[in-house]
Amino acid sequence: MRPSEWISLLACVIVGTLWVFLGQNALFLNVFAGWLVGPGLNLQDFLQTGSSPSFTVLWIGCLTALLIWYWHTFSRSTRSSAEVRRMRGRWWLAALLLVLFGWFSQLTFTVFRWQVTGTSPLEGGGVNYYPVPPMGWILLLVVVVLDVILLFWLPTVLASPRSHRFVVPGAVTLRGGR
Amino acid sequence: MTLFAIGVGGTGAKCLEALTHLHACGLIDRGDGGAGRRSLGTFLVDPDQQSALLLRAQTAISRYGALRGAIADRSDRFARGDLHDYGHWSPLSNSSGAVSLDQVFPKAILTNQASGLAGLFDCLFPPEEQQADLEVGFRGRPPIGAAVMNRINLEQEAQTGQWQRMLSDIQAAAGNGEAPVIHLFGSVFGGTGASGVPSLGLLLKNWLREQNLGSVTVQASLLLPYFDFDGQGDGDTGVHAEARNFQLNTDAALQYLRASGPSCFDRVFLVGSDLKARFGFSIGGTSQSNAAHLVELLAALGAREQAPANASGYAFVLSRARQGQIGWEDIPDDEAVGAALAQGARFAVAWLNNLSLEIDAAQQVPMGTFLSGAPWARRFFSPSGAPTATSGGRPPIRDATELSLKTCIDRYAETLLQWLQQISSNVGSGFEQELFSPETLKRTSSPDNALHKVVRGKARPDRPEASDTVETIKIAMDGLPAAAISRVGMAGLADALWTLCA
Repeated sequence: MRPSEWISLLACVIVGTLWVFLGQNALFLNVFAGWLVGPGLNLQDFLQTGSSPSFTVLWIGCLTALLIWYWHTFSRSTRSSAEVRRMRGRWWLAALLLVLFGWFSQLTFTVFRWQVTGTSPLEGGGVNYYPVPPMGWILLLVVVVLDVILLFWLPTVLASPRSHRFVVPGAVTLRGGR
Repeated sequence: MTLFAIGVGGTGAKCLEALTHLHACGLIDRGDGGAGRRSLGTFLVDPDQQSALLLRAQTAISRYGALRGAIADRSDRFARGDLHDYGHWSPLSNSSGAVSLDQVFPKAILTNQASGLAGLFDCLFPPEEQQADLEVGFRGRPPIGAAVMNRINLEQEAQTGQWQRMLSDIQAAAGNGEAPVIHLFGSVFGGTGASGVPSLGLLLKNWLREQNLGSVTVQASLLLPYFDFDGQGDGDTGVHAEARNFQLNTDAALQYLRASGPSCFDRVFLVGSDLKARFGFSIGGTSQSNAAHLVELLAALGAREQAPANASGYAFVLSRARQGQIGWEDIPDDEAVGAALAQGARFAVAWLNNLSLEIDAAQQVPMGTFLSGAPWARRFFSPSGAPTATSGGRPPIRDATELSLKTCIDRYAETLLQWLQQISSNVGSGFEQELFSPETLKRTSSPDNALHKVVRGKARPDRPEASDTVETIKIAMDGLPAAAISRVGMAGLADALWTLCA
């Protein structure tokens, strides 16, 4: 891996981390507050105990997947075009699992957690889940996809070693071939 | 500059096999700039037309010739040495179908018309030698070969067939102001080479003198014993070569060389080995399939040696630094020879075990799919899979002409790999070589990547193990500046691979 690729990888992780822990919440509070606030839902409470923990779990999942990807691609080389194409299937599977994992963690911290413990996240509320409106749910699910793009696709496309860079969708257009 | 190589007998044929591979690796060029590219002419002399050794040499020569013909001027560095194959000639071909000595020298006629000569004939050759079938060679008996070889009339042979083609090319090369070299190869301890090499050397020297071709040099690589037989013949095999006679034959040959050598050759290279390889016994024919040996490589390297202007000395020998081992430092001109042979070996492995398989795989999937995992291919082949105005002359990867060239490269690379595998694994007991790793010099059915183990010792490229792979070469191909890829198609791909394997 070239120094520029190490720098790209580091930059992606830093930017991704800042986005997940600072940028996203700022966006939710200042731009999309209307989409997220439902009946009786305190947005600050939701961001602290619902949204942020779920995105933290996704962040950990993405970094873990990234580490596994780099361990795998550094430790072995590809021998043929067919092997690159087979690896592409694995990359897509990893990306899909991360998105599903992110959505599941949203559900967990917004709904399942409260239902399992039998408590309500709202003071004096009768429901044992965060009543996020449909547009809020769509926003959360889209942000999960954005996070996977930022924390998994971008680092792998910019800094996968050797022929593994051709595995990641869009990498040939961005980095390799002519 | 033109080199005319004549291989006499089975060992001579093996030396020509080695020389062909050296030529393919660019080692017949001396890189002397002004002299230009050297072409190689090959001519095989052997009465044993079924010899497996002859067949193997012919295979190497014809496969390189086919590759060279298919590549033509489509590469800058790969397979650039011209080759002229003059074919195979048997010294028995002019004996009206005779296959034994008493048919070559008709015994009945001799007895009737020159009884004294018939008596001399009986005195020189016992009945079993007179009647031995010579279609499997001269059976390790130089006197039989000498009797047959000395009947050759070069003046007459120069009128027709292979001799005519070669001798007229020698005349033409000398007439063009070149200084052609005729290099003969053969053993001095067997039958055909021991009798044929000095006889042909003498005939050629006389012919050159008669033709006033003083600029032509005649030299020879003479192989001293370097192998033994694992078994031996029995009563059914008739007269046959015996390992116990090798030393005797060698002594006789060296005595002849000492007395009459300069009339046969301008200089000689003597190569042998004190540690012998072991080959299975064979009287000749298809069963004589001795593996290639390092000594033949060393003998072939003699043809690279150019006589200095103030040359002194007639016979040249080699020695090695360590008793039980040969390494690159023991090879003459080891820097250039090591680099070129290493490049050839790495190319053959990378081509056969990876790129050739990749091209095969590309025939099974759409070009776009193939390119998504092999962006390097678009530097040489049309990305759309069809010839278009925007492909810049890049042919489709499924073009029949390109696939035909690929077959030529495959075949020659396989021959080269097999030869390298044999010379690196067939060194004899108690003797090691530090040139190549024989276990890596094999064709694999699935794509392989590693190149770092192919070459051993100082000729091994100075690269980290992890990056000495075909994958690295493919990435380098993909990243080459446009100016560095002047050739496209299969020839361009082979040319780029050849360069990046250095």
